[in-house]
Amino acid sequence: MIDPITIVLITLGGVLVGLGVHFIPVGGAPAAMAQATGVGTGTVQLAAGAGLTGLISAGFMYNELATSAGLSNSNMILVMASGAVGSMIMITVTMFIGQLIYVYGVGVPPVSAKVKKDPITGDVQDIYVSKGTEGHGVPTVSFVSGTIGGLLGGLGGSLIYIQLMNIGGDHTNSGIVALAGIFATGVFYVNSVIASYNIGGTIEGFHDPKFKRVPKAIVSCLIASLLCAIIAVPIMGGVS
Amino acid sequence: MSTAAGGPASGGISPNNIIVLGAVGGLAGIYLSFLLNQTMDTTIFSFLGGIGAIFAAVWGADAVRRVCSYGLGTGVPSIGMLALGMGIVAAMFGLALPESDLVTLPNFLGPIISFITASIMGLIIGVMANKILKMNIPIMEKSMVEIAGAGTLVMIGLSVVIVGDFRFDEGMVPGVITTGYIALVFIGGAMAILHPFNACLGPDEKQYRTLTVGVEKTALMMVLVGVASLTEINAISSAVTIVVGLIIYVVYFKKFLEATHHDAYLITGTGLLPTEEELE
Repeated sequence: MIDPITIVLITLGGVLVGLGVHFIPVGGAPAAMAQATGVGTGTVQLAAGAGLTGLISAGFMYNELATSAGLSNSNMILVMASGAVGSMIMITVTMFIGQLIYVYGVGVPPVSAKVKKDPITGDVQDIYVSKGTEGHGVPTVSFVSGTIGGLLGGLGGSLIYIQLMNIGGDHTNSGIVALAGIFATGVFYVNSVIASYNIGGTIEGFHDPKFKRVPKAIVSCLIASLLCAIIAVPIMGGVS
Repeated sequence: MSTAAGGPASGGISPNNIIVLGAVGGLAGIYLSFLLNQTMDTTIFSFLGGIGAIFAAVWGADAVRRVCSYGLGTGVPSIGMLALGMGIVAAMFGLALPESDLVTLPNFLGPIISFITASIMGLIIGVMANKILKMNIPIMEKSMVEIAGAGTLVMIGLSVVIVGDFRFDEGMVPGVITTGYIALVFIGGAMAILHPFNACLGPDEKQYRTLTVGVEKTALMMVLVGVASLTEINAISSAVTIVVGLIIYVVYFKKFLEATHHDAYLITGTGLLPTEEELE
């Protein structure tokens, strides 16, 4: 009844979500006033926005590809890719529009205060940081990092969804689709909040010193996702 | 808000009284609604689920208030989302378990199983937050248990308002999950728990004012799920829910305004913005 591989894959999906959150440039309230690097809202809002978009695109692809026999392994990769691309589009659009507002609305140059030189472009950063702030806007390295975050979050979210749908077994039953969707959302939220507690609210991306805390989040997300998976699997199998 | 900010919240009703009020009131609302509906073969008592949700949301809001006054570093909304994230997984598990082939349990036990599951999940996540993530908030474990439990009860309570039943195969799946109202319950329930403290936080935050927002917000959610229930149960039952919700909303919004005026140092009208001629 309880398939260990499914539980492992759902847990892996949760861990991917938690890891992905660490890549997203979250500025929180300071960034909303252009006083810190990143997009000006909380981790959960950003991760959930990207993650749910990923879930929708994964769900669309799943319905396109699934047959009554379920989903083949190669199709599973397609669904996950669809989810990842959906998340990446959402997060990049958010960062890009935020960037436009920071640059043309607020009038600040996108700059990181955590590194002297942008690790990707090599541009000098520190001389452009306004006094009393911790950087502003979304510099190139944060943008790239955010895109990677979207990729990981989307992969994780769609992996959870696919596993739950596979146990449910009938993709034409809207009860199963909705239950898998809402379960995936629940697991997604739990992992993104745990990850956001780990980074303490704000992070610029993989170049941020806070990124070194990742192992702690991976352990925590592993435990939390495992718990969710053990609960979710028997229920998805039992829906009539 | 920095992680170093704040300290224990104080004043007002003691936490233990609120825990009893929320847990007992929440479960009582859910069960009364279900039992009265079943015995009288009607759906008119569905609104009691909403009353239960109000008790549970007040409890959740108070727990959020206590834990967030230590400063989480991530903003208050995250904890509300965590509450309903855990709540929804636990609620589905608890309600579905008696109906599955795994164990033989009376489906009457659903909400209690959900509640216990949520508490266990909350405890594990709370312990992780302090031991692994080193958040060092002394009441983290206890608050997480409370928040998860309250989240589950809010979620089941609001679902009962929609279908008048908490049984998984008869009520929840066709009425709340398949129709997609579960998303409304999810976000609305999270709002009811996270918004009160998020709206009132600050050095002059008072328990009474925060919890009044909690009641008012959940009553507003009750009206919304009442509208949703129009498609699931009959119009009279929905109307009862909507009217009861609106009355509670108006009463408590007035109380909130009074409390705000009472706590304010001075209330003054600023008038309209000056016109261009007046500025010259």
